[in-house]
Amino acid sequence: MPKAKKPEVLVVEDEASVLLTYRLLLEEEGYKVVAALSSQEAEGILAKKRFDLVLCDLTLEQNHTGFEVFERVRKRDSKVPCVMLTGYANRETTERAEQAGIRVFFKPIEIEDFLQTLKTILRNSHG
Amino acid sequence: MATPLLRKAVPDSESFAERRKSVRDSTALRLLSAERSEEIFPILLEEIVALGFARALVLGADFESGAVRPVAALKYQPSQLQKFHSSLWAGENPLISLWHKGKPAVLSPSAGDREPLYCHPLLYRNRNQCWEAERERRQDCLAVQNFRSPQKLALQEQVCASCGMRAYAAMAVVQVGRRNHNGQLRQLSNLIETANRYLARLFKVEHYYNRMREMDITISQMHAVMQSMADPVILTDSHHRVIMLNKAAERFFKMPEGVTEGGARAVELNNLYFSAALSSMAVSGTESHRDLTLVDVMEGEEVLFEAVCAPTFTSDRVRSGMVTVMRDVTDLRRADQEVRANLQKLRDAEEVVRQDRDRLNLVIENVGDPIVVADEAAKTVLLDPLAKELFGLGDTPRQAALVRNQARLDAYLTAFTFSFADNQNRPLRLYNPASNSEIEYAARSGKIYDARGQVAYTVTVLRDLTAWKKLEQLQMERRMLEVEKFAATGRLAGTIAHEINNPLEAIKNAIYLLPGKLKPPAQPVYDILKSETERVTRIVRQMLGLYRNTDQVGPFDLNSVVEDTLTLFARQLSTATINVEKQLGKLPPIVGSADQFRQVLSNLVVNARDSMAKGGRLAIRTRHVRASDGVHGSVNIVLADTGCGIPVDMLQSVFEPFVSTKGEKGTGLGLWIVKGIVENHSGSIRVRSRPGKGTIFKLAFPIVR
Repeated sequence: MPKAKKPEVLVVEDEASVLLTYRLLLEEEGYKVVAALSSQEAEGILAKKRFDLVLCDLTLEQNHTGFEVFERVRKRDSKVPCVMLTGYANRETTERAEQAGIRVFFKPIEIEDFLQTLKTILRNSHG
Repeated sequence: MATPLLRKAVPDSESFAERRKSVRDSTALRLLSAERSEEIFPILLEEIVALGFARALVLGADFESGAVRPVAALKYQPSQLQKFHSSLWAGENPLISLWHKGKPAVLSPSAGDREPLYCHPLLYRNRNQCWEAERERRQDCLAVQNFRSPQKLALQEQVCASCGMRAYAAMAVVQVGRRNHNGQLRQLSNLIETANRYLARLFKVEHYYNRMREMDITISQMHAVMQSMADPVILTDSHHRVIMLNKAAERFFKMPEGVTEGGARAVELNNLYFSAALSSMAVSGTESHRDLTLVDVMEGEEVLFEAVCAPTFTSDRVRSGMVTVMRDVTDLRRADQEVRANLQKLRDAEEVVRQDRDRLNLVIENVGDPIVVADEAAKTVLLDPLAKELFGLGDTPRQAALVRNQARLDAYLTAFTFSFADNQNRPLRLYNPASNSEIEYAARSGKIYDARGQVAYTVTVLRDLTAWKKLEQLQMERRMLEVEKFAATGRLAGTIAHEINNPLEAIKNAIYLLPGKLKPPAQPVYDILKSETERVTRIVRQMLGLYRNTDQVGPFDLNSVVEDTLTLFARQLSTATINVEKQLGKLPPIVGSADQFRQVLSNLVVNARDSMAKGGRLAIRTRHVRASDGVHGSVNIVLADTGCGIPVDMLQSVFEPFVSTKGEKGTGLGLWIVKGIVENHSGSIRVRSRPGKGTIFKLAFPIVR
């Protein structure tokens, strides 16, 4: 991990406690974390800033989904790696995510595996 | 026949008495010298003429024809003999009537005759009995009877009751001249009587001679009979010494030329066995039989005989020996045994047939569907109780429904019996005799052929489709209910899982962040926290597996699902030193959710892995089992491991939720989910397990087209 510049990660999750644990996990791993509790909040952040990686829960507030957030991200920069977290292990969402090039993790995540994968994704996206 | 030498010895000058004596002696000597009965009459006639009579003849009688004719004559011209030809039954002939009286007499000259005739009848007579009468101790010997009372018997009855011999009857006829005195007549009478005695003696000898020749012929005939017999015949004397053997017996009891040592021993043994058998039979009774095993000297084979033994006796009832006839019963006994064995077989077969019939009757009575058996003319011969209710018992049912049912059955049976089909499956509408309503039956018929390939019987089973359909509907509904229940449970589980998932995620992540921030005494508490959270995670994952309402359902290849699953677990299995043997048969696609099948296989493979902590073998087989119709059938999957097995007391409940053999490590949901998915696909799952040996799961899915 280059010390000069920490990778910047946007985490979107509608449950505050879960969001907090993600944030702590990622910061411990050396990421610079920006957290958002809703898609609306995420949109605001995304409008101002570019991230190295976007993590988003599938189910967000009031029928909003993670896919909306990812669309917004991709609209600005199609190369930003996206990772979706979900408790709903169904084929439809999995396929939809895969088609969009979004990596899917099922909750509860295997933390070590999850962290390892994020590193790989970032390495690949920086070429 | 004259004997000149003897006659010469008689001098002419001797006194009457001397001459008479000498005549008598010389005559006796001459007669004695005769060796055949035919020689007697010529000598007699010569002696009569020598006595001083002019001429003489002997008349002979033939008892067969009754003819009387001169058999010997002296000094008669052939023309003179003609008048002596007569018949025994010529009663008017004085000669014949005199002959019948049996006593000598002088016959006065008749017309044409110049001089009287002395007639002396000669009849076979003897002081002693013939040997036949003697042997048989009879008192009716003809010779003796004639000797005692010659006049008693008519000439034509001169046949001996003892030996059947026909006596001779003759009459000496001597012409008496004027010069012949009474003394000469007495001498003549004596001479004739003497001649008759000699004649009788010769006749007896000749009879014996003839008798002997007859016996000789009989003996040679008997001998030929004995030799020609295929069975051994042995004649033994009273000391059991062999007198005679036939050829068949020689084979066993006579030492052949150039016999081997073994052959000689066989003959000795045969003789030994035979005399032993004879002795015991002689002791046991007058006639006896017993089995005797002898060795054929030529062939060296053992032959089983039945020896039948009969004693022989002398004329005075003394036992003279034995006749033994032996019958080769080797084949007979074998045949007898075969017959017995066949009889037993037949009885056994009969028993089997009886049992089969009883069993069949039992089957027919318990099928639960009406059964009709008809003969080759489509006439019903057997109805089971249910069929009787439908078609009635007798030939003339009174109920209208029964009449109509019978008519429909007759039409159906006739059409089937005379069709070319071996079996048929047709709907048949019949009336319920109780309610008079129409019921639809499915009639399934088959033909039974006899040995010639002709239809012997037809069997028809009727299935009440109405009832069957009702039952099927009920079963379907029950299954739907099960499926619905399972789905509802799944939905509930899924919802709960989702709700739990997020807090669980936070807890998990928080626990992950804890290490390093804890004081050492808190470590055990942290460990509990960590392991129990992992357990909750596993339960939630399993529950989520239950709820996949958006799964794609369609035809898929089960084998590729198996391959995928095994690939997924390949690393884990090889780390656990588990050998995987897969045997994937060619399968038709099955319709369902491939994802759910993946879950089924994953759960079963994980269970197998966990059961083989020290390694082992996991066999997976898939197979297409074709149904008799060739269209449907099922796809079967077998998973067999060599793991720790399932305890006997748990085997019943492994498919129930929250039952686990893995203790803390298991969720108790794996097999419950497997069963749910299998039943969702109309499949079946069975488990067999032996603790310490391993577990086998067998899954079967019907192929739906």
